[in-house]
Amino acid sequence: MSSATLYSVSYFLVNYVLTHIGSVLPAPLNAWITNGDLVTGLAVLVFGAILLGASMINTIVLIWWERKLLGRFMDRRGAMHVGYAGLLQNFADGFKLFRKNTFRPREADWLGFFSGPTAYLVTSFVIFGILPISSGWNSGVLPLSLLLALAIFSFAPLFIFVSAWSSNNKYSLMGGMRSAAQMIAYEVPLLLAVVAVVIVSGSFDLTTIVYEQQNYWFWGPLFLALVVFVAGMLAEMERIPFDLPEAEAELVEGWNTEYGGMLFAFFMLADYLRALVGSILVVLLFLGGWTMPTWVPSAATSFPLAGIFWFMVKTYLVFGLFVWIRASLPRVRTDQLLRVGWNRMIPLSLCAVFLAAALVLAKCVWPFGCLPSMGV
Amino acid sequence: MQSEDLAKALAPVLGDRILGVEPFAKTAGRLRFRADAALDVFRAVKEDLGFHHLSMVGGIDWVSHREVFYVAWSDRLGQYLLLSTDLPADAPHIESATPVWPSANWHERETWELVDITFDHHPDLRHLLLPDGYVFHPLLRSFKLHEPEELEVKKRSV
Amino acid sequence: MWINMGPQHPMTHGLWNLRVKIDGEVILDCDPEMGYLHRGIEKISEDRHYNEVVTLMDRTCYVAGFAWEHLYILASEDALHIVPPERAEYIRVMCEEFQRIGSHLMWYAAFVQDLGLMTPFLYGMRDRDIVLDLFQSYSGARMTYEYMRVGGVRNDMPPGFSAHARRALDWLSDRFVEYDRLCLGSEIFRKRCDGLGVLKASDCVATGVTGPMLRSAGMRRDVRRDRPYSVYPQLDFEVAVADGADVTGRYLVRMEEMRQSIRIIRQILDWLDHHPGPVLADRLPRWLGAPYAPVGKEDYVLKRNYPKGVGLSSIEEPHGEAQAYVVNEGSEHPYRVKFRSPVFANISAARHYLIGYRVADIPPIMGSVDVCVGEVDR
Repeated sequence: MSSATLYSVSYFLVNYVLTHIGSVLPAPLNAWITNGDLVTGLAVLVFGAILLGASMINTIVLIWWERKLLGRFMDRRGAMHVGYAGLLQNFADGFKLFRKNTFRPREADWLGFFSGPTAYLVTSFVIFGILPISSGWNSGVLPLSLLLALAIFSFAPLFIFVSAWSSNNKYSLMGGMRSAAQMIAYEVPLLLAVVAVVIVSGSFDLTTIVYEQQNYWFWGPLFLALVVFVAGMLAEMERIPFDLPEAEAELVEGWNTEYGGMLFAFFMLADYLRALVGSILVVLLFLGGWTMPTWVPSAATSFPLAGIFWFMVKTYLVFGLFVWIRASLPRVRTDQLLRVGWNRMIPLSLCAVFLAAALVLAKCVWPFGCLPSMGV
Repeated sequence: MQSEDLAKALAPVLGDRILGVEPFAKTAGRLRFRADAALDVFRAVKEDLGFHHLSMVGGIDWVSHREVFYVAWSDRLGQYLLLSTDLPADAPHIESATPVWPSANWHERETWELVDITFDHHPDLRHLLLPDGYVFHPLLRSFKLHEPEELEVKKRSV
Repeated sequence: MWINMGPQHPMTHGLWNLRVKIDGEVILDCDPEMGYLHRGIEKISEDRHYNEVVTLMDRTCYVAGFAWEHLYILASEDALHIVPPERAEYIRVMCEEFQRIGSHLMWYAAFVQDLGLMTPFLYGMRDRDIVLDLFQSYSGARMTYEYMRVGGVRNDMPPGFSAHARRALDWLSDRFVEYDRLCLGSEIFRKRCDGLGVLKASDCVATGVTGPMLRSAGMRRDVRRDRPYSVYPQLDFEVAVADGADVTGRYLVRMEEMRQSIRIIRQILDWLDHHPGPVLADRLPRWLGAPYAPVGKEDYVLKRNYPKGVGLSSIEEPHGEAQAYVVNEGSEHPYRVKFRSPVFANISAARHYLIGYRVADIPPIMGSVDVCVGEVDR
């Protein structure tokens, strides 16, 4: 496949349209409209619009997927009434939130109160500009894309804390504190688990990491790292059993207690965007991204957009695992969570790093096979 | 244990501080005591007869006087015991049972605000069910739910 | 820092306010504030006929209506010197035991949800619906039954009830295994609940705590066994106890109580199948069935020459030991009705089992108390 990126596609589109418009215009206008800066600027906008649309639709379908799956786990049906099998229910919910009045408590700090959720949503969304979706549909080629994605991903505690603090509510504040403590505690094992993958694949580039998994997916030999990564991701995404920052039983709704209407929708969207990013990262790092094992019949992997198809299937299955965990586990307590984070997860992730190093030294491990060239 | 046995068991300890023990269906009896000796009676009943569990405290407004009653349970006897005493209708007060039975705390708060019986030396005599600053005592007979005649008058004036 | 948990808070399961003083996440002090649901049921009862008070009893504790109806009826029958037929007593006890299952299932649903478990919440509500369906089949209502009468019950079981009830019991006893697997089988659940909200038996007695909280401390006190009322002496059952005095212990006690309730109901159904008969005493005073009419100031003057009496009843309500004290002064209204609510006493001891734990422990601890605000405030 050609190495077309999402940006190059949008550049091509904008260029194509502008050239055709320009060809019917008189000379000075033509020169102005086909100016390289304008094309680049518009291409970035189109790129962003496509990314926004795709990620928003995916997020909303993800919420639907969670509701249906959760419903089945709970012996009920989930959303049923709006659209086929409730597919449009979340659009309706979003529309309802959109129509609601956005208000802020009188004593709340308006700058933090409004900028917190916005920044939270934007930073969660920006990560999609980095993640490759398939061999032909990555949004750009970045040699350190994994590092950048995780760096942006870890902005979240700051914005959560800002919005919690500025809400001027004791529950929000406690939720924000918990959130910050939890995310920082689980950032370390999460990154160490990523280090294991980086050691084996020899690259911070997500596309390279996926290609390094051509012989075997990393989840087998790096199972320990996968476990640590999934647990860390659950904590970062604040999902049950690690949803203490918004533990509705004691903290009402945690750091977003005071939010309503569209600002609340921002938080919801950002949460699920982060869940989507988490699932995508699991797929990219451990489940071979858009590639499929060689024993899969070629008819199933060679149709148009097969890469994206398999990528989405894997992503949704990984998210299904998160939903399954949510349906069956109770919430842990803050001190237990932090103790597990610092005392158990970090040693475990260090073990995973050593295992990865051993794997690189051994080069070939039965029954998985050999590492491809180290990519250096 | 029947009410006569109860009277016999308590007579040497309490003497004339008990006014009598009447039979009461499905309990050990109803012990009537002098209000000014309340704590002695509670202590004797709890320590000597094993009535460690105080179930409830309540008050009745008999218009001419008020009655306070206590229901206690003894694991040793496997029986309930009713204790009751009469208080004057104006400014009724009795010693709080909380030193003997800590569980009397909330029951006495409730009785105080609903039946207007003051419990002396209660650790925390605040409103419990009614809002702070509420001046009425709803379970008094003088607190009427219906005033049909007044209602009719109002209706006519409208 | 004092925080108000309530009156609108997901932890409260009702309308009350738990004021908590915290340092970081640790609880230093607490002060429950009740009264948001005070409807003056004891006062209204002074103005109602004996049978009309039953309506209020359903609303006293809205998840255990039958237990409160039974409590009030037992006391007022003593006060009025009326003896119900034996079949009515069996039906009442069956109602009470079914209500215990229903109430405990409601507790289970609310309690696990406090821990963040949504799945068992829906399982608990689903299975409680089966119990409510049975209630509906003979009383016509799912929550406010108005079914018991002074001197008996309103009507007999519909035909085929026994088979339906047995099927429901079979289904329920299978589900309890599933519940245990979902909760006790979960490492996180045990970590959250073991050694939490400890209240030793001696403290329970001192503070008046009864019911599953007391039995979880290893004390085998159950009004149904210690001071048997109604037809409990004829029934064979065990008193459920546990020895943790903690949240897990209360969970175990309630689960075992539901199993024992099923055992009791099976015996009652067997008895009911073989002993047809009237369910309402004949020769009841005619004014018992009189309709409600607002009364004036002369209300408190004795209008009837009915023999006076006082009744004290005590039952093992799903939440603990409940008592009713009914004074009959010969009129068609009770002169004074006084209730003891078990949750009232259990909440009053909140300081003893909350201080020293963490904010995140408040929902499971208060959940294990099984707060029903309706009966606390009355």
